[in-house]
Amino acid sequence: MMSIPFFLFAGALAAVYGGRRNLAIGLWALSVAVMLILFRLHATDQLNIGL
Amino acid sequence: MTPRLAIGLNALGLLAICIVLLFAFSDQLVYGDLPCPLCILQRAGLIAAGFGLALNMRFGPRPSHYGLMIIGALAAGIVARRQVLLHIVPGTGSYGDVFFGLHFYTWMVIVSTLIILGTAGMLLFDRQFTDESGQKPLAGWILASFGLFGFLALANGVSTVLECAGGLCPDDPTGYLLLQ
Repeated sequence: MMSIPFFLFAGALAAVYGGRRNLAIGLWALSVAVMLILFRLHATDQLNIGL
Repeated sequence: MTPRLAIGLNALGLLAICIVLLFAFSDQLVYGDLPCPLCILQRAGLIAAGFGLALNMRFGPRPSHYGLMIIGALAAGIVARRQVLLHIVPGTGSYGDVFFGLHFYTWMVIVSTLIILGTAGMLLFDRQFTDESGQKPLAGWILASFGLFGFLALANGVSTVLECAGGLCPDDPTGYLLLQ
């Protein structure tokens, strides 16, 4: 599951190479969204710091 | 700054990002320092930032491409800062190898800040945005840096599949799940 952002980025870069700008940016946005969801799933421990 | 010069600088920036990714990869492959989940997400954030450079190289410099770079660098920096905060209290341990006295996640805080700073610097030069002729052919070393970046994105995907299989990666990985 954690490999999804990388494959989406690779797809987005292929779209860039192929001249499909809108498709590339769409795939980029999707991969960033997946990345942030994965971050949320992993950032579960409470930080032992005072802010 | 001419559009041509801006594209050259963007390609140099992409090469710099490739060097950072290659360094992390070599540490993983040569020294067996497996990336933790947050480390993997930092690599993804770095690729997200580099994507804006790739867009500039292919379609010409645009402010929106630089905006994507800033978002990607912010994402990488947020993940890295989380990891720094996890280990910032003395005695709470650390993860991975040290390079020049700093852990890789601390370096990522610095790198992501430098990317944002560099992007802000590039945005100061308006003349690079005057060329609206559309797509640029990728050739020579600019194509090479683009190809290397694409290869590293794909290679990180394959490496992550080998390490974590189909699910979430273990917090403290000890080996490649698919190779055991």
